[in-house]
Amino acid sequence: MAGDVREQFGQAAAAYATFSYHASGPDLPVIIEAAGLTGAETVLDLGTGAGHTAMACARHAARVVAVDVTPEMLAAAADLAASRRIGNIEFQEADAAHLPFEDGVFDAVTCRVAAHHFADVRRVIDEVRRVLRPGGRFVLADTVAPEDAKADTFLNTIEYLRDPSHVRDYRGSEWLRMLRAAGFEAEMVYRMVLALDGADWAARQRTPPEKVAMIRHLFAEAPPALRAAFELRDAPWGFSQPIAVIRAVRA
Amino acid sequence: MERLLLEILCCPVCRGELELRDAEEAEGEIMSGTLVCLGCGERYPITDGIPNMLPPDQRNGG
Repeated sequence: MAGDVREQFGQAAAAYATFSYHASGPDLPVIIEAAGLTGAETVLDLGTGAGHTAMACARHAARVVAVDVTPEMLAAAADLAASRRIGNIEFQEADAAHLPFEDGVFDAVTCRVAAHHFADVRRVIDEVRRVLRPGGRFVLADTVAPEDAKADTFLNTIEYLRDPSHVRDYRGSEWLRMLRAAGFEAEMVYRMVLALDGADWAARQRTPPEKVAMIRHLFAEAPPALRAAFELRDAPWGFSQPIAVIRAVRA
Repeated sequence: MERLLLEILCCPVCRGELELRDAEEAEGEIMSGTLVCLGCGERYPITDGIPNMLPPDQRNGG
C-alpha cells in the first residue's frame, strides 16, 4: 500500500514544495498551539511530505522527527530545511503503521494532509498512541468528508479519480469515534474551507486527462445540493474542500 | 542522522534493539551505515544521512 503512495508522490515532490496551502496554510499555527509546543518537546511528524509541518513545529520544539514513505519527498524536505537553516529535524523513511520507535518517546505527534493515504488508519492510531507519552498529544489535520453520506461519496470519488493512492477522507465524526475508541480524548479544534483551482489541483498529482474528464463529468452532473456543499465552479473549474484540525490527548 | 536518535529507534518489525554498524560520520551526523536488529536480524540502511526504517516488505515499491 505504501508503494502506491511512493509512486504517486515521488513524481509530485516538487509541486508540493511550492503549493501555498501546504507551505503556509492557516491551520499551521493552530497545529502548533493544539500540540502544546513550548520549545522543549520531541515531536514526530507523520507523512511529512515536503516537510512544512515539521519545519513549523521545529521552531517551537526541541527536536522533530519527520517521516514519510517517499524518499523523493524526504530529500526535497531535507533540502528545504537545510536552506532555511533549520537544524533540529531528523528525516527518515518510515511507515506510520509500523513506527520504528520505542514506546512513549514523543510529547506530540502531528499528521497534516496525509492521513487520507493510510491503508489501515486504525493501526496508525494505535501506533501513535504507543509512541506518545501519557498526556501526549496527537494533532491531525486533513480534508474531512461531510457528514452527509452522498456528499461524502462524491468527495472521496473525485479524490480517488485524481489520485489512485487516495484511501479515504474520513468524516469528522469518524475521526472522533476512532480516536476515542483507541484511548484518546479527542475534539475538533478548527475548521476551514480550502478553495481549489481544478486544473492546479489535478496537475499536482499529474492526473491523466481521461480521469480529469471523469471528474469534470461528475461536476457537470452534480445536483444542486452537491454543487452547494463543495462550491463547485465552472470557469475556471474548481471546488472547495473542508479541512479540520483534530486534537487528541493520549489518556 | 544524529546519534541521539538511536536512543528512541527500534526495529519496526519486532521492536528489537538496533545496533549501528559500518557508520560513516561527518560533522557529528551519521551519513551512512546499517542499523541491525539484535532481535530479528533485519537490516536497515542509512543513506545520505536518512535511515530507511520501512519494514522489508514495503521497500522498493512493495
